[in-house]
Amino acid sequence: MTQRDFLTKWLIYGLALLPVWFLEVYVLSRISLFGVSPTLLPLAAITVAVLEGGAPGAGFGLAVGVICDAVYGTNGAMTLSLALLGAGAGITAQYLVRQNLVGCALCSAAGLFLIELFRVGWRLLFQVADLTALLRVAVPEFLFSLVFIPLIYAIFHWVWSRTQFATLF
Amino acid sequence: MKDFFRHNGVLILIIAVLLALITLVTSVLLGGTANPIASVVGFVTTPVRNGINGFVGWVEGVYDYAFQYDQLVEENEQLKIQIAEMEEQVRQAEADSRENERLRSLLGLREQRRDLTLESATVTAVGATNWYSTFTISKGENMGIAAEDCVIDQYGNLVGVVTTVGLNWATVTTIIDTDTEMGGILARTDTAAILEGDFALMGEGKLKLSYLPENTDLVSGDEVLTSGRGGVYPAGLLVGTVDTVHTDDSGMTRYAIITPSANLNDLQQVFVITDFDIVE
Repeated sequence: MTQRDFLTKWLIYGLALLPVWFLEVYVLSRISLFGVSPTLLPLAAITVAVLEGGAPGAGFGLAVGVICDAVYGTNGAMTLSLALLGAGAGITAQYLVRQNLVGCALCSAAGLFLIELFRVGWRLLFQVADLTALLRVAVPEFLFSLVFIPLIYAIFHWVWSRTQFATLF
Repeated sequence: MKDFFRHNGVLILIIAVLLALITLVTSVLLGGTANPIASVVGFVTTPVRNGINGFVGWVEGVYDYAFQYDQLVEENEQLKIQIAEMEEQVRQAEADSRENERLRSLLGLREQRRDLTLESATVTAVGATNWYSTFTISKGENMGIAAEDCVIDQYGNLVGVVTTVGLNWATVTTIIDTDTEMGGILARTDTAAILEGDFALMGEGKLKLSYLPENTDLVSGDEVLTSGRGGVYPAGLLVGTVDTVHTDDSGMTRYAIITPSANLNDLQQVFVITDFDIVE
């Protein structure tokens, strides 16, 4: 793959991220189910990591994490978390699970679980709220987000299937 | 794992750690000013947000016209009646204000607060996370908006406080967010307490009035205003009404649950208080 092909591939991944971003920030944030809206950007980072592998997954996770920090106001936490999750999901997909929808769903569920665990643990540590109140948000958010795995997978698998060849042009 | 190391995986993770640290440190150092990455993302996406917001408004307008025409006509009639009643109230208020002015002069009292400098702004996006209660508005530093500015709705009810400011956008943290902590006062009894967000109540769209004095006389429906103590926030902004009163887990102090007067789920236009006068 030439450098131009490499850049084009990641540009297309970036463009594919836009509808996911808009869906989460401008559409789904206005529609809440059980009082929560789903979180999609981390799913995008994990999906690309499953399809592309550890190092590219870490790089894409880093880029998505920067956007997440800007969108969620999380001051760097998502940059680091998604880079690590991207690396972890990519390595897991290379050695432990298949690089298909099931593998992606498993990695996404594990990744989302870790994110929710971090969010709940952080707030418990600083006594922001009790566990019951935190779980009342974390559990529906986790379940609601899982519903979107097939959609996210379909978007990025479409990109992946068209950009995995040695030469794009 | 070999692939990961061969393809600069470790280098990417080091960059992620450094970026996260830089973002954290700049956020702390800059206070309410947005960090450079958030600033650039906010600046670039503001026109998009405005466009999407306009489009959503148009779709809602078309939907309302198509499916709720009769309801709108009826609502319009009711609003006309309300306007007539409010005009009468305004006339009465003007008379009261003149009388108040005379009494103030008579008593030699200084004016507590005369006016608020307001900057109108449109809500362009609501917070995309379930862990905070925030929204983004269409104006920022370029219109004189700064961190810690209070934000009210068109009826003067307190909505929240500006927490992050970009060039042409700002993030407002609503009064139900867990970061909220400000002085509150019960309008009926002049009892001072602390208004604070509570995570368990955030989902219900409510907040707490904590550290109530032991003998406080509270009635459901009592209005709670900002106290303005310390001069950071203006006094006398309506926050909400008392819903229920509870005793905390320690059994030592009581707190009230407050229902905000502002409809935080349906904000379209808000007003930022960029300046206010306080004379104690």
